[in-house]
Amino acid sequence: MPPTTDAFDPAVAVQVLAALLFCLGAAVALVRRNVFLILMGIELMLNAVNLSFIGFARTLSGDASLWGHITPIFTIAIAAAEACVGLAMVICITRRSDTVDSDHFAGMRE
Amino acid sequence: MNELNHIVFHACFWLMAAASLLGAIGLLTTRHPLHGALYLIGVMSALAGLYLLLDSPFLGVLQILVYAGAIMMLVVFVIMVLNRAKDGDARRPDILSLLGALVPLALAAVIVPQLAGLPLATRAGEAYRGEVPAIAEHLFRTDGGQGYWLLFQLIGVLLLVAIVAAVLLAKRTLDTPADDAAAKDDHAAHH
Repeated sequence: MPPTTDAFDPAVAVQVLAALLFCLGAAVALVRRNVFLILMGIELMLNAVNLSFIGFARTLSGDASLWGHITPIFTIAIAAAEACVGLAMVICITRRSDTVDSDHFAGMRE
Repeated sequence: MNELNHIVFHACFWLMAAASLLGAIGLLTTRHPLHGALYLIGVMSALAGLYLLLDSPFLGVLQILVYAGAIMMLVVFVIMVLNRAKDGDARRPDILSLLGALVPLALAAVIVPQLAGLPLATRAGEAYRGEVPAIAEHLFRTDGGQGYWLLFQLIGVLLLVAIVAAVLLAKRTLDTPADDAAAKDDHAAHH
């Protein structure tokens, strides 16, 4: 069934929004030097992917549509584990080098 | 009545979409990590609203509970515990990091036109709504269909391992060997 023009379908808009949010999250993770902002950029990227899954779920039929609702559950659990370990590492590194600027975390390079 | 529903849906959809994009831009440009965390909570709340609009009430609630509630609370808590918020003021993005922004910019330039041209259409009535009974039925299906219960158990194990790892990582720096010995003495003295 092709999309009709009189009733605007949000399915494509959702995917574009998810792509823009993903790119903004990637920009935060790449541009900012504060480790907290880097971690938050990664969280934003994971959120954008979840939005994409849910957007696609509405364009499928039957059982296939539910997979779009089930996969984000696992993404959210992975994100929780990642935030948990990531923040513990931030605490660990900050106690050692007394900064949250990622430019100072170059111990592996020397 | 249907017309009114349509208008309300679109008003909510574009409001949430704009809020999430503005929040993400705020996160990119903020000077203070704590403000960044608040922007991100705004993005996540807007996304939760979008999930509710897009037939996924369970994930909308999960988004607020786990993301905006638990994960961001943890982030804000650690920022405040380390009290390093002012460190973020010192560094502005320099040339090298602005070059890094070219990568996501190029990514957006490649992906967005492709996505905008996709022949996607909402299948009202055919697609399941993401409600708890339907999700649970498919997640824990054992009648020979493709169930995810094993993956669900593994996620539980992963979370447990992550918690133990986080405790070990954060603890190792807290007690130096000297403190450890003192604590042991203290413990022995109590007995």
